[in-house]
Amino acid sequence: MSDTKNKHDVIMVGAGPAALSAAIYTTREDIDTLLLEKGVPGGLAAVTDMVDNYPGFPDGIEGLTLAANLQKQAERFGAVIDFAEVSSLKDEGEWKKLETTSGDMYAKVVLIATGSDYKKLGVPGEAKYYARGVHYCATCDGAFYRDKRLVVVGGGNSAVQEAMFLTRFATHIDLMVRSKMRASEVLQQELQKFVDDGKITVHLATTTDEIVGDEAKVLKVVGTDTKAGKQVEIETDGVFVFVGLKPNNEFLNGQIDSDEIGLLKTDENLMSNIPGVFVAGDIRSGATMQVASAVGEGATAALKIREYLEGHHDIQLEA
Amino acid sequence: MVKNITIFTTKTCAYCPMVKKYLAAKGFTYDEINLDDEPHRRQEALAISGAMTVPVTVVTRQDESQHIVVGYNLAKLAPAIA
Ligand SMILES: Cc1cc2nc3c(=O)[nH]c(=O)nc-3n(C[C@H](O)[C@H](O)[C@H](O)COP(=O)(O)OP(=O)(O)OC[C@H]3O[C@@H](n4cnc5c(N)ncnc54)[C@H](O)[C@@H]3O)c2cc1C
Repeated sequence: MSDTKNKHDVIMVGAGPAALSAAIYTTREDIDTLLLEKGVPGGLAAVTDMVDNYPGFPDGIEGLTLAANLQKQAERFGAVIDFAEVSSLKDEGEWKKLETTSGDMYAKVVLIATGSDYKKLGVPGEAKYYARGVHYCATCDGAFYRDKRLVVVGGGNSAVQEAMFLTRFATHIDLMVRSKMRASEVLQQELQKFVDDGKITVHLATTTDEIVGDEAKVLKVVGTDTKAGKQVEIETDGVFVFVGLKPNNEFLNGQIDSDEIGLLKTDENLMSNIPGVFVAGDIRSGATMQVASAVGEGATAALKIREYLEGHHDIQLEA
Repeated sequence: MVKNITIFTTKTCAYCPMVKKYLAAKGFTYDEINLDDEPHRRQEALAISGAMTVPVTVVTRQDESQHIVVGYNLAKLAPAIA
C-alpha cells in the first residue's frame, strides 16, 4: 500500500453541495477528509445563475456565491480539496482504493457525491459546433450572444431557467420542447412573462433534428413539429442544450447497485451495497435534485459516516 | 519563462475564478478582460481561441510564443506556465 499521505479517514468523490456539506460536518468532528473534484467546487450549483429556493436566502443567491461560501466553510474546518478525477473504486475490505489523476488513494470510507453532467442531444451538427455555436452552460457562454438570436433546447426546469437567463444577452430565444413542458408551475408562470414580452417563443411538440451552419458558425436548427408532422427551420446564432442529466457513475463500473437510470441505491443510512461506501446528493437513487436536499443528504451521510467509523475504530493507519 | 498572462472572463462563469485562483497560487499575476464590462472584445477572444466560451487564458512567453488555454483545463494550463 502507498504512504500515509494518500490515506484518509474519508475521501469524498466530487465537491458539489452534497460533499461540501458532508465535509463541513466530518471536518468539524476532526475526521480527516479529502475531497476529489474533477471540475469546479460547488458542482452544478456553481454554474447555475441564481438559486432561488435555497432556504435562508430570501432574495435568492447566485450559484457561484453559494458554491464559494460552501467551499470556504468546509475549508475553514480543515477540508482539503484536491483537483483530481476518480477513475475507479476498488473495495479492498477495510480500505477502499481509488485510482485518480493524482495517483492512487486509500480511504476507510468513501462518499460518492458525483452528481450528474449535461446530456447531449446526439444530433448531426452538435459535435461539429461544440463551443462554436452549441453550448451547455449559459452562465459560461451566454455573453457571446449579446444582441443575437438563440435556440434553447429542452422543456425542464433547467432549460426554462437558462432560457430566461439568456434573455439578458439575446434579442430573442426560441425554446424547442420535444413533447410538453415539464418545468415547475412557478417557472412556467415566470416564463410566460418573457413570452408575453416577445422575448421567448415556445415551440411545443417540436424535436430538434439537426444543427446546420457554415464553416464558421451555426445558422439554423432543423426540427419537426410532431403535431403538424412538418419540418421546421429556425434561424439562430447559437444553440444551448438542456435536455436532462446523465449520472456520473462510469468510474464505478457497475459495482454499486443502481436503479434503471443509473442512480446509486442506498439503505436508510445512505450506505451502498459496499460497506463503507456512502452516497449523497443527485447521484443517489430517490434524490430530489435540489441543492437543499443535496446539502441535507450530505449532512446525514456525514453523521452516518461518523457512526460507521466509530464502529470500525480498530482500523489503524499504517505508519 | 512567462512574460505575461491575459484571461478573458465573464462575471457569471464558474470556471473563471478557478483559473485565476490557480495562477495566483502559482505566483503569477495576470491581466483580466471581463467581457461583461468590455463586450466589444468578444471577437478578440473568439479569434484567439476559436471558441465562444470563457475562460480563455493567453500565456505569452519571453520568446513571444503564445499558449492558448480554453476553459479550466489544468492539463493544458500547467505546462503553459511551466
Ligand atoms: C441549470 C440548473 C439549474 C438549477 N437550479 C437549481 C435551483 O434553482 N435550486 C436548486 O435547489 N437546485 C437547482 N439545480 C440542481 C442543483 O444544482 C443540484 O441538485 C445540486 O448541485 C446537486 O448537488 P450534488 O453535490 O449532488 O452534485 P453536483 O452539484 O452535480 O456536484 C457533483 C460534483 O462531482 C464532480 N465529479 C463527478 N464525477 C467525478 C469524478 N469521477 N471524480 C471527481 N469529481 C467528480 C463534478 O465535477 C461535480 O462538481 C439546478 C441544476 C441545473 C443544472
